[in-house]
Amino acid sequence: MANEKTAPQGQSLLVVGGGISGLTTAIEAAEVGYEVFLVEKNPYLGGRVSQLNQYFPKLCPPTCGLEINYRRIKDNPRIKVLTLAEVEKVEGSPGAYDATVRLNPRYVNENCTCCGDCEAVCEMEVSNEFNLGMDRIKGAYLPFGMAFPSRYVISPQIIGTQDAEKCKEACKYDAIDLEMETKTINLQVGAIVWATGWEPYDARKIDNLGFGLYPNIVTNMMMERLAAPNGPSKGQILRPSDDKAPESIAFVQCAGSRDENYLPYCSYICCMASLKQATYIRERYPDAKIFIFYIDLRAPGYRYEKFYKNIKADENVFFIKGKVAEVNEDPETKNITVVAENAVTGEKIYQTVDMAVLATGMQPCTATAKLPADLQYTEDGFIINDFAKGGMFAAGVANKPADVVSSNQNATGMALKAIQTLVRR
Amino acid sequence: MTDTYLVEPDVEFIKDVKALGGGDVKKCFQCATCAVVCPISPDTKPFPRKEMIAASWGLKDRLVKDSDIWLCHQCGDCSDKCPRGAKPGDVLSALRSYAVAAYAKPKFLADWVNDPKKLPILFAIPVVIFLVIGLLTGQLNFSPEPGAIVQAKFFSVILVQIIFPLLALLLTVSLVLSLKDYLNDIHADAVLYGRTKKKELDYKELGQALVRVLPIILKQDKFSECSENSDRDTPHLMVLYSFIGLAIVTGIFFVVLDVFRIPGPYSQLNPVKWLANVSGVTLLIGSGLMIKNRLSKKDDQVSMYKDWYLLGLVFGVGLTGMLTEMTRLAGTACPTYFFYFLHLMFVFVLFMSLPYSKLAHIAYRTVVMAYNEYSGRK
Repeated sequence: MANEKTAPQGQSLLVVGGGISGLTTAIEAAEVGYEVFLVEKNPYLGGRVSQLNQYFPKLCPPTCGLEINYRRIKDNPRIKVLTLAEVEKVEGSPGAYDATVRLNPRYVNENCTCCGDCEAVCEMEVSNEFNLGMDRIKGAYLPFGMAFPSRYVISPQIIGTQDAEKCKEACKYDAIDLEMETKTINLQVGAIVWATGWEPYDARKIDNLGFGLYPNIVTNMMMERLAAPNGPSKGQILRPSDDKAPESIAFVQCAGSRDENYLPYCSYICCMASLKQATYIRERYPDAKIFIFYIDLRAPGYRYEKFYKNIKADENVFFIKGKVAEVNEDPETKNITVVAENAVTGEKIYQTVDMAVLATGMQPCTATAKLPADLQYTEDGFIINDFAKGGMFAAGVANKPADVVSSNQNATGMALKAIQTLVRR
Repeated sequence: MTDTYLVEPDVEFIKDVKALGGGDVKKCFQCATCAVVCPISPDTKPFPRKEMIAASWGLKDRLVKDSDIWLCHQCGDCSDKCPRGAKPGDVLSALRSYAVAAYAKPKFLADWVNDPKKLPILFAIPVVIFLVIGLLTGQLNFSPEPGAIVQAKFFSVILVQIIFPLLALLLTVSLVLSLKDYLNDIHADAVLYGRTKKKELDYKELGQALVRVLPIILKQDKFSECSENSDRDTPHLMVLYSFIGLAIVTGIFFVVLDVFRIPGPYSQLNPVKWLANVSGVTLLIGSGLMIKNRLSKKDDQVSMYKDWYLLGLVFGVGLTGMLTEMTRLAGTACPTYFFYFLHLMFVFVLFMSLPYSKLAHIAYRTVVMAYNEYSGRK
């Protein structure tokens, strides 16, 4: 790449969050010559996108897009990736920020070859957050097959146990260091881009939709993991109560979204996500019936609309205009009955299905925990970009609900905004 | 529904509905959550989603004839769960008020009842009637002879017995005329929109249906089915039964007076007096609790003039009644006669408001519940 052009001295950029937005901002800025620190709280990059089975509308797996980004990071010496890292404090002003970053121990160093010997000897299991807690993994684990950095992690939960010692003994490469401690570093940067992303809205809060009460009601992100080849069911979509192949599935759109009792805004992606997930089911179970309950369907733009029209033409997919406002479970069969009023016909529908998917929305991570920096937020917790002030910017879903394409465009724009802060000084 | 339909919005109607408490109707985005969470909405053509869009569109004719607005007991489940804060419960309440006014005969009385500025006129009506008739006939005595305090010394019983039955007769005629029109309209509407299979309205069968729903009304079953109603359930039942109790007392009083020529007031040992006292206290407590609930805004329902008007009258009737009795027992003549006069004015205005105010729900909801039973709507 353009190595001959270098950034002004001490003019580096901090990107917080290593999901699709943060990756994009970091890489775009680095590729035009700026030094970038990419800070990610998880032990791996890729964020929410890496949990997906496929992207819409092209239905390619997320590794497609992520892999090329990882390659660009590997090729670019200007990007310094810090995983298991969290920003603790930011001081200063545009052009001169001092960011305090906490580095949590991974207990595994760069000698790791991903041989898996530690995992083999480890007996303790911990909840697998990558699969949204739907299965358990060993206390020594690789977050997932395509994880980058490609390196094992020792869960803090097994530190101090016999298991941890066994892992260390099993490692032929001297890659496990149980003495690793939390470190704090300070980064001097000229601009910061917050790409802190989102969390799936907690469906337990939606008290009339039965999530957490009935096992065969799952969320859309759980459906992504169920459909993903590296998910808890290895890509088979089976209903949780009895591992049965579902013959009928209901999608509950706007579950806790556009609702002032929960998330008042539209998360933008859930309609397309459910349409996409309908293809997962059609592919695996050609005879399964799919019922999509909606208030309005949003499939903006030519390509999304075409995608929607294709699904709509499918004779096994039924669209019902009416929000599901009540769910019941048959205690014998564990089947779910969703109740809605079809607003077109004016009749109530009691649709019994094998499982139901709640199309829950995205809540910015900043809704529950504010960042340790001088930032403004919307009522819903999204970061407001103050371009007049400059210096710090939000990219992707930290700023507004968006799909991957829009996030990438936005993240590229924010890279430019950050660079402007750097060069205008 | 699939037929082509040209919407002719009545903008004034939308404004009126908003003014009657349906101010958030336009926030509705037709998700139909309300129709599902409602514990008593039927499966076929459920309410209130269809009423919400009709109100937004200003479809006045469709809504005043839509009997479903009376099936709602305004528990507020729909307003609670509404994702937009459109408050369907309050919109239906506004629609009921509008429908009562639309069928009121004469119409201007309904307008007066809903207009705070006309409140003095409403109270002036009984004052003038009592003073004029009383003074002309000499049945009103401003200097009652001393001795035992007996209301009849002040207001002759004859005066009360002329004015109130006459009022009751006029109200009955007004109400019957309104309800007859209303029944025909709601039946035509139910036939048109497929909510019933009956073609002709059979009054005999309707009467039988009324007998079947009376226990439900008296036990307030439907009102209690509304899960959010627990706070309002008991006070409403107290007011309902205290009115029934007071009606019985009044009936006995007049029969005893006219047939056996025994005038009041009765001794405190008389069982009829017990019923009167219990009913009076129950009325005060029940309506007092209702006022307290509305003031504390425990539930999100809006409180409009129409709500305060009725509650004020009911509480006023109870309060002036009890004050009359207490001042009489205390032996203070002047306050007794004053409160008695006030009491009669409150009773008069409350009675007069029956076909025109929120109180009309006694008649309209009863008719609709009977019609619903008759038409087989589930």
